[in-house]
Amino acid sequence: MDPRDELIGHLPAMRAFALNLTRNAATADDLVQDAVVKAWGNFDKFKPGTNLRAWLFTILRNTYYSLYRKRRREVEDPDGKMAGQLSEKPAHDGHLAMTDFHAAFAQLTDEQREVLILVGAEGFSYEEAAEMCGCAVGTIKSRTNRARKRLAELMHLEDEDELELTDAATMAVVNGASVA
Amino acid sequence: MEKNRRTKKLTQTIDENLRRAYADTAKEPVPDRFIKLLEQLRQQGDEERKPSGDDS
Repeated sequence: MDPRDELIGHLPAMRAFALNLTRNAATADDLVQDAVVKAWGNFDKFKPGTNLRAWLFTILRNTYYSLYRKRRREVEDPDGKMAGQLSEKPAHDGHLAMTDFHAAFAQLTDEQREVLILVGAEGFSYEEAAEMCGCAVGTIKSRTNRARKRLAELMHLEDEDELELTDAATMAVVNGASVA
Repeated sequence: MEKNRRTKKLTQTIDENLRRAYADTAKEPVPDRFIKLLEQLRQQGDEERKPSGDDS
């Protein structure tokens, strides 16, 4: 199968990754467009049988760092509530409030957000992420751990009591009982 | 030991929420501009592959 035909199936993930990098919906789609054009012109360099999504994500992130990172500050949303622009839902199911989560996520560095998406959300291995980011596996591991830790701090999840409380609140919502 | 257990739970909570937030975003339908872009790229490619010029 021509990998060009598979590209469309990866577009939703590319848009999500781009949104998490740029934190601006319009810029994210411009970035995806640039990455798609670049990928299309380079498909002869794609090795069939290797991970197409990893290849596309690599092009997308390289495009972001070479063209977009400098531009970002000019278009950045001053409210600081950016990552959730495409979809924002109240936490009716008792998980962490997504608005809080997005706000905390937006405070991480580009590299921290990137690695959390690649390893935490997409499930790429440390080795794959290292190859995509052009750095050592150890760097990816420590960056991932620091990013998770920072996110936990920002969300005040660092002590276990709060986690238990979250679980209790979750159970309360699930069971329809009052938290009091 | 206790600290490890806590860290593991924290990692799980973080990653679970990451996946949820990411999945919400990745559920968005692909806008028309990308469908059009892919059509355009495909047509360009087809034209480049065609033998050039009828008058040759």
